Amino acid sequence: MAQPSNRAERGVERVARVLRGIRDSLEDENRAAVATVGVMTGALLASLVGFLLVSSLTIVPFGIFVASAGYGWLRHQELTAKALAFAMTVSTILILILITTFIFREAIPVIRYESATVLGVSVPGLRLFLQPNWDAVSPPIRFSMVPMIHGTVLVTLIATAVAAPLGIAAALFISEIAPAPVREAVKPGVEILAGIPSIVYGFIGFTILSPWASDQFNILGQGTYLFVGVVVGLMALPTVVSVAEDAIASVPESMKSGSLAMGTTDWQTMTSITLPAAFSGVSAAVLLGVGRAIGETMAATVMLRGVPRLTEPLYNAFYGQETLTSLIARNYGEADGLQLSALFVAGVILFVTVLFLSIGSQYIEARMRSKLGGGQ
Amino acid sequence: MSTETDSRNPLVKGDTEDTSAVAAGAVGLSAVLFALSLGSLFEVVDLGTPVAGVPLVTVVGGALVALGTAVIVFGVGSRLGYVETEPQSGAGLVAGIAFAIVWFVTAGLVASQTFGLGTVGWLLASVGVGAGVFVLSTATREDIGSTVPAGALTAFAGLVVLTGVIAPEWVWDLGWAQKASFTGAFTIPVITLFVSLLSGWAAAKAYAGFGARGRHTGAYVLVYLNALSIVGVLVILLAYTVVQGVPGLVNGFALGPGVGPESTVVLFGTTISWEWPFYLPFVMNGVGLTNDFNGVLPAIVGTVWLVVGAVLFAVPLGVGAAVFLTEYAERGRFTQVVEVATNGLWSTPSIVFGLFGFAFLIPRFGNGKSLLAGALTLGFMLLPLVVITSREAMLSVPDEYRDASAALGVSKWQTIRSVVLPAALPGVVTGIILGVGRIAGETAPILLTMAGGVFVPGSQTPDVVGGFEFTASPPFVDNPVLLDAASALPYQLYALITAGVGASGNVANPDQFKWATALVLLVVVLSFYAVGIAARYYFRRELNQ
Repeated sequence: MAQPSNRAERGVERVARVLRGIRDSLEDENRAAVATVGVMTGALLASLVGFLLVSSLTIVPFGIFVASAGYGWLRHQELTAKALAFAMTVSTILILILITTFIFREAIPVIRYESATVLGVSVPGLRLFLQPNWDAVSPPIRFSMVPMIHGTVLVTLIATAVAAPLGIAAALFISEIAPAPVREAVKPGVEILAGIPSIVYGFIGFTILSPWASDQFNILGQGTYLFVGVVVGLMALPTVVSVAEDAIASVPESMKSGSLAMGTTDWQTMTSITLPAAFSGVSAAVLLGVGRAIGETMAATVMLRGVPRLTEPLYNAFYGQETLTSLIARNYGEADGLQLSALFVAGVILFVTVLFLSIGSQYIEARMRSKLGGGQ
Repeated sequence: MSTETDSRNPLVKGDTEDTSAVAAGAVGLSAVLFALSLGSLFEVVDLGTPVAGVPLVTVVGGALVALGTAVIVFGVGSRLGYVETEPQSGAGLVAGIAFAIVWFVTAGLVASQTFGLGTVGWLLASVGVGAGVFVLSTATREDIGSTVPAGALTAFAGLVVLTGVIAPEWVWDLGWAQKASFTGAFTIPVITLFVSLLSGWAAAKAYAGFGARGRHTGAYVLVYLNALSIVGVLVILLAYTVVQGVPGLVNGFALGPGVGPESTVVLFGTTISWEWPFYLPFVMNGVGLTNDFNGVLPAIVGTVWLVVGAVLFAVPLGVGAAVFLTEYAERGRFTQVVEVATNGLWSTPSIVFGLFGFAFLIPRFGNGKSLLAGALTLGFMLLPLVVITSREAMLSVPDEYRDASAALGVSKWQTIRSVVLPAALPGVVTGIILGVGRIAGETAPILLTMAGGVFVPGSQTPDVVGGFEFTASPPFVDNPVLLDAASALPYQLYALITAGVGASGNVANPDQFKWATALVLLVVVLSFYAVGIAARYYFRRELNQ
């Protein structure tokens, strides 16, 4: 019982300390500067509120903000610059919060509609995952996420099978094996691979790869998860390479030299010293690559069939139906009401999954840094 | 090492060279087979073409048998002491497991498909063979363990092809509800690809005399091959797009004074106008009935304004945030949260940004898809990239710079402005250029926020500068051009692909038009990358001097 009150006390103390700190630092500053920054902050908050409320008067507080910032820049640059930089920092967090709220808010109607009763308790959104039918036109109208999740999982598995081994090998090549001139050629090459727009990949996949695959495997119609996965894997490859390369390069040179001095070959040093030391960084790279593969949209949209259903049998990757991303890109045009809301559910699933992957990989990287940091 | 053996045992020297020639030959043969199977997979080489009276597929089968035999013979020769090598006691756990899996699959397929055994039967066969191979490769000496499983598989595959069990016209219907089957035309090259890789690896290992050096060589062959194929894929992609796109792009090209359209720029009241000395209709025209040649000018201009808008939004915000994070804030909970947020934003799928723009920006900008909404959405995407790269650039500015400036009694902001920012500028600029390259090619976010038409007439070229006007009611400034839907290159390519064959607009050759659009998009995006990468090289060289 004592613990929560203790924690609250500590919290109050901390807030007090922060406030004291702010007051101390303000006392150093000129009063006029503080007043200007105060006006700036107030005007910025007001324009944010106005913008959120869709008010046409938003321009008024925003004008005040611009004017006070301009005045502050001319007269009290020191404090104004710091305050502006702080506001800009906060904006990154704000954008993440806004994205979360807005896509969740739009998703609510269909989550309510697709409630299912389990043991007498109505669980909102459960039916989205319990049955595999997506039918937005004829009753019973059902918005199941199951086929799209199945598609996304298949595509991501195939893409990871392509991107992870090839990416790690390429990262090893660039950072450890290649002679300098070769590295200077391969590294920009990998970057350019990342630069090719996804729609161009999709276009080539659609015009060349899909017809070819239909021909080779005697498939009815066009569009296979298999080759979408391969193309997406190719697109996720540069992410894996660059992050894994950073991880491998961050292994202290002394560790490698120590191993080489024992008379091992380069390859032995790589497999028994470098890769194990960089293991967490390399797995973070793979996680980020998986995140890229999950979120890849245009290649999937252009190359898939656009019919939301499960393939038969479930492991039949020769037929490509629909993924979460392509569902959104294909249907936003004619969708309204519940169907539009269902697209936002797909967006929420994507967003949350990829955010978790991102946080997970950051956690792993932080652990690696603290582990290797001791030796540096 | 080798000189030592040579001087000690000069009689074996000639022998060693001959035998290592066998291994080198095997490596070369697998390289040829690898290239051949790639060629046939992409329908450059036809397996049916006769070579010296025999169909190519038979030659490939024979070559596989020879390759497998050579690998086995080398391994056995080494084991019996005819070849000087330094093998270890086993092929290693990783190689053992890999061989076991490969043989497990092969045995299972043969047992169930060729001999028609039931589930129990093929499972028993698979497990038996897999376990046997695992024991063989891990428990025997490395020269046997790493060559015999690979060589035997290659020879077996060669026999299967040679005897016509799998011929080019062979079809294996998988019998699934959604029909799919493996055809010989696909299976033979893939099997060849795989076993030539396996044998090439084993032969490379043998060539270097097994042991640590052998593993080193074997692994290096694979890693080099991987890097080579990545670069190869890149070159093929680019070359293919260029070859397909150029005819549409240069359609109607003319060179000479007065052939180009006239451009007019109004700058501070003075009007400057000039005529282009060349005429490249694809990037100078829209689509129209009266046009001699149609083009994608509106989409190009739309892309330019999108990028400008995104940069104007994201760069000040991002650089400011990076300044605060590196210079003002102390490392703690707050910076950690910001870091997680920026990295989270960086990996958020582009389509989610599109949904966000759709739900958040569109109702606030006149309830319609607009250039402004598209530019801001791309700005949200660009922001984390700018923060991350600017931060890295500022962190790499040595602390001595800051200390020296502070020692002069200069205030913190002055230090940032005149010491940190100039020093970090190259990194920041490079990061921004690369980031812009990425967002310029994005389709998904603008799909939901900006979207134009399939074939856009020249009259819809956005004129943002001329669009500003003042109004009497709030918000007092209005720009209908910014609030109109506009087209951009990636979106136009998407629209062209999905419009299908029927919609041809006024365009004579839609296919050519599509490829030319793809090429223009590629050129626009990759030129950002080229500039970014070149800038990084330049600045790095400057720094190193």
